[in-house]
Amino acid sequence: MLSNTVLLHPASYFIIGALLLPLFGRVKIAQKVILLAVPLLAFWQIHYLPESFGVCHFMGFELTFGRVDKLTYVFLHVFTLMALIGAIYCLHVKETGHHIAAFLYVAGSLGTTLAGDYLTIFIFWELMAFASVFLIWYRKKKRSIEAGYRYLLVHTVGGLILLAGIFLRYQNCHDLSFTRIMAEGATTADYLIMIGFMLNAAVPPIHAWLPDAYPEATVAGAVFMCAFTTKTAVYVLARGFPGFESLAILGAIMTLYGVGYAVIENDARRILAYHIVSQVGYMVCGIGIGTAMAVNGACAHAYAHILYKALLFMGVGAVLEMTGKSKLNELGGLYKTMPVALFFTVIGGIAISGFPFTSGFISKSMIIAAAGVDHRIIIMLMLSLAAVGTFLSVGIKLPYFIWFGKDSGVEGREAPWNMNLAMAIAAFMCIFLGVYPEYLYKMLPFACDYHPYTAYHISETLQILGFTGLGFYLMVNYLHPEPKLNLDVDWFYRKGALVFMWCARKPVSIANDWVGEVYRTVGMRFTMLVAKALSWFDWEGIDWAVDGSAKGVVKGGDRMRTLQTGKIQQYIGGAVAALMIVLLVVVFL
Amino acid sequence: MAKVLGYLQAHANVLKWIFFAFLLGTLVFDFMIERHHAHFWGDSLIGFWALFTLFGCLGMIVFCKGLSHVWLAQSEDFYDREDSDNVE
Repeated sequence: MLSNTVLLHPASYFIIGALLLPLFGRVKIAQKVILLAVPLLAFWQIHYLPESFGVCHFMGFELTFGRVDKLTYVFLHVFTLMALIGAIYCLHVKETGHHIAAFLYVAGSLGTTLAGDYLTIFIFWELMAFASVFLIWYRKKKRSIEAGYRYLLVHTVGGLILLAGIFLRYQNCHDLSFTRIMAEGATTADYLIMIGFMLNAAVPPIHAWLPDAYPEATVAGAVFMCAFTTKTAVYVLARGFPGFESLAILGAIMTLYGVGYAVIENDARRILAYHIVSQVGYMVCGIGIGTAMAVNGACAHAYAHILYKALLFMGVGAVLEMTGKSKLNELGGLYKTMPVALFFTVIGGIAISGFPFTSGFISKSMIIAAAGVDHRIIIMLMLSLAAVGTFLSVGIKLPYFIWFGKDSGVEGREAPWNMNLAMAIAAFMCIFLGVYPEYLYKMLPFACDYHPYTAYHISETLQILGFTGLGFYLMVNYLHPEPKLNLDVDWFYRKGALVFMWCARKPVSIANDWVGEVYRTVGMRFTMLVAKALSWFDWEGIDWAVDGSAKGVVKGGDRMRTLQTGKIQQYIGGAVAALMIVLLVVVFL
Repeated sequence: MAKVLGYLQAHANVLKWIFFAFLLGTLVFDFMIERHHAHFWGDSLIGFWALFTLFGCLGMIVFCKGLSHVWLAQSEDFYDREDSDNVE
């Protein structure tokens, strides 16, 4: 049974691959074969998954490692395809650890997608966070190390909120299976789980980890990260929380929030990172609207988005790899030396903007149309305005200031063949989906009766794109990139951490000294006094007392003394441990 | 490819007029198409999306850049030179 599960589960290929990679540390060619073979195998194998597999019992819980339906399939399909593209893109990376982290990260994402219960989700969820942080740290710069720690801390908090929701839910209904939750009967537990999921989907105001961490990741690491964390969160939201009104509203706000920052940011990869927030907003909004067409649109958009966003990250990643720069104010005029990267990035840019005959046209419009059909006019207009900002910031501003604009004199060379091949595959998919949308529509979870190529839709799109271009043309000087840092809500914890550190240095440290002093003068004497009194009581007073109890008290006093170290952090630690034990008892009894 | 792009950049004026012709074309196209099942009043107005986009785009640029200039933008080492200011 167990071996069956391991062989069936696509995540296990990636885990086995990650275990094999270090064995071939010196045989680079074997490593490359593994890097390509594993995603290929998984991409082929997901077509043959049974509806349910890997059900096992563990400590009284029923764990389901494999649950497959159409919603699972469309995400598995794009995740394994993206793993293949990402593997090709990072073939030249020398660090074995980088490849291992990427493989474990993909495994976590696939495991979450296939999981049928909350405990399994939680395990793979944490694997994802833990593995992906190495993709940041492998950049090996001080900024990256710091950003990685912040990323890890934020995701740990998110994981704990999710875990708290899972515990509460188990206490409420003694059922951990992961199925759709109805908006009407949702409890605190369900909302905690939703917040845990929303953190990974980067829904404001808990989104700041994303534009903080992704631009600091390695070139190849960012390509992986932009695909998996947020889209896995979109999957679990689509599975568990369709039709939640709060998601529809937050999603629409997200789309504008993300593009707003993308308009003003300077670092190319930070622009793209804010754009993930915006694009995932469309998906979250579609899930919140919750009709069949809207959820279909969210899935289609997730599929299309993974490919063109990865393509964009690969394009600006190639520039970063070759020139060492990613800030727009330091770049410009690269069209002479890196035209291939320009070509692919522009394809990604027009796809994300929704040009006709690209993947964005057939997926984004589905969500906007679903909002219109549902008579949510304000949300529809917000989404349309975000589309304007998308073309403005990623479709025009980004390529213009990197490849044209002023000539910065930065010397570039074309990227290695493997990077170009990965970009070519992603670019092909962006066009292919636009020309032949049925390929994607067939995979969607609900029956799909949507036709993107109507005259009105094309006219609307051409106007939006054309007049955005006019807006850029009129304002190009005002839009000039500036070497500045824009505040976001991460200010609260980045500055807040300083206040915390100050507290740790000043008041807590003083209190610590003070408690130590009090202990030395009072605690010790008091303990000795009690011990003496009790021993007198025992030895002198009572004949009928049990033999040796006086000695016991003296011993107890000694033990008390060793326990009372006078260090406040140990007292707090003890109190937290006691609280945890009480909590566990309450939850499990 | 680089040569083609260089040639085009040298003739940016021509490109500009092609672009304006394209904009006009989109409006003309909007006159000709059929409009069924409009979602709201804007869908039945000719050129609605052109106006919506132009004003939305300019408004967004002015608003975001303005907000950045008056509030959000800080020097790039804002979080690095922490220990000294703000707290002590």
